Amino acid sequence: MSGVKRIDPRRPYRLSPSGLRRIVLGESSGAGLRFGAIAHSHEKVKPRRAHELAKFWHMAIAHSNRGRLDDHAREAVAAAAIIATLDTGVVAVILGELHEDIAALGADRIVVIPELDVARFQPMREEAVVQALLDEYRPTHVFMPDNMLGDGDLGRRLIAKHDDSKAATQVVELDRQHVSVRWNGGAVFAKSILPRFLLLAPGAVDTDLPFVGRGETMSPPQISNVTEIYNDLGLEPTEMSNIALEEADFIVSAGNGVRNVETIDTLARTLGAAVGASRVAVDEGKFPRDKQIGASGKTVSATTYFAIGISGAVQHLQGIKSCRHVIAINRDAGAPIVKRADLTIIGDAEELMQALITRVEQARNQGEAAEVER
Amino acid sequence: MRDTFTVAALISAGRHPVSGTPRACHVDAVAMALGRWIAGDALRVVHAGAAEEPSLQDYLALGAGTIEVLPIGAGNDPVPELATYLRDVDIIITGNNAERGRGSGLLPYALAEALKRPVVSNALDVRLAGSAEAGWNAEIRQFLPKGQRRRIACPLPLVISVHPRAQVELKYAYARRVSGRIEIVASQTTAAPVIAPEWTMETASRRPVRLKAQDGKSAHARMQSAIVSEAKGGVVAFEGTTVDKAQVMLNYLREHRLVDF
Repeated sequence: MSGVKRIDPRRPYRLSPSGLRRIVLGESSGAGLRFGAIAHSHEKVKPRRAHELAKFWHMAIAHSNRGRLDDHAREAVAAAAIIATLDTGVVAVILGELHEDIAALGADRIVVIPELDVARFQPMREEAVVQALLDEYRPTHVFMPDNMLGDGDLGRRLIAKHDDSKAATQVVELDRQHVSVRWNGGAVFAKSILPRFLLLAPGAVDTDLPFVGRGETMSPPQISNVTEIYNDLGLEPTEMSNIALEEADFIVSAGNGVRNVETIDTLARTLGAAVGASRVAVDEGKFPRDKQIGASGKTVSATTYFAIGISGAVQHLQGIKSCRHVIAINRDAGAPIVKRADLTIIGDAEELMQALITRVEQARNQGEAAEVER
Repeated sequence: MRDTFTVAALISAGRHPVSGTPRACHVDAVAMALGRWIAGDALRVVHAGAAEEPSLQDYLALGAGTIEVLPIGAGNDPVPELATYLRDVDIIITGNNAERGRGSGLLPYALAEALKRPVVSNALDVRLAGSAEAGWNAEIRQFLPKGQRRRIACPLPLVISVHPRAQVELKYAYARRVSGRIEIVASQTTAAPVIAPEWTMETASRRPVRLKAQDGKSAHARMQSAIVSEAKGGVVAFEGTTVDKAQVMLNYLREHRLVDF
């Protein structure tokens, strides 16, 4: 028996263009920092959506979040491109900074207005800028995500200003001619012709497009100073551990691999995160039931999710489906969470948490010291 | 101090989402309670619609006192009537979405536009500061997703739409339901009512269809994309000391702007 050569079932492989697993010979797992999925299947260059000069325009307006568009905002841009005919161009108006290329979403022209960030409440300035762009492009349809981050608010202000009685909010279904919204609290679909202003509900559009836009960056319109009647007194500092898990933006979550609950609480405090747990940790009595994340617990939509000592059962992955950045700390490099995580650290949870706490505290102190020097 | 500004709460007919039983629209009841907290007994409660509406009884039980009803036919735009009727009211407070009908959340904005006033949406809390001479200022705590809250100051007059998470106590009392009154107010505008554009109704028994781009891919390509799972997974750090690994995590957080240090 001892003479049988053992084969590592998780030895490195790459996916061939036809989707078959091919073993990488001469490499063994456990050598330095390595990409889990080594080779991506061949990336085909997508064609341009339209080659003609645009006669008409569709406009998509959305706020960016930390320099990126969230899924809901991406859907609005994609909807503008999908609905557009060949002689219609798509202009994407991004309020706030943008650090990514959104031509893949079908945007032909991109207008970025960095000073209209979502963190500040300045609806009158936003309205003035958007009005200038509406006058410039005269779009046949305007697409916006109907969220509470400011787009839903701005969209409704624009609809009221233009007195568009046909405008549709919380659009769940749309095509080139029609638009469907839910009435009576969701009991009926109401269908109407495609209006000028559309505020889209999340999940109404598939952002996977077979084409790209031109992606030309345009300079924002110059607006003379607008006096804001609203006085923004700023965001309230919120204690992350106090808010509900469903609302939290940063979650540190513990599983079976976490022995010491105090360490995870300290880590959460250091990072300013809420604490969650997997079913196993909750069943063991380490965490209360309302901290459970997964199919039988809560579904969370945090931007950052730390999965510490969580193997990643499908029921748990279901609960973190809409988390954007998943960072896992795990002993087992073959655990299912590794496939889901954007960054996986292999090692002992307790040691790594302690190291991270120390490093983050150092970084915070350095940051403060640098600010004092300035 | 309180009688120097006037507050009106707008209420709409509510229906239970499952059974369809008439009830007070939750967020409007919350808005009414918030209005009661600001203005005390001076709060006016206004409903645009039919006086026979059964859900109005619920609002009486929740402490509406007297409900002023502006008779408006079903399907007509209530904004011109309300704008004329409420033009002297300093604060108009209402829920952010109705439970019945369109529930588009457009009414506060349309009303504010008709009255040329500012509007603040998704309020959780409203406090008033100032005096009759210096002018009143409303300080509003606004709901934002991801646990964030924002404070906004705005001079009166204004329109406020309330988020259902506002912290108010709703108390149902049968005695108030019996003692409350419903008053019908004469129609305010002589202009012909605007008929809302045509919508065709359909029972929502199916899932909505997602908008997808048509791709001219061959059947083979479609089959491939269906059976080949995309290579997914991120960076895996195997080796190095724990300090190095902690640095890898911190670098990731900084690179994606997830932390502010």
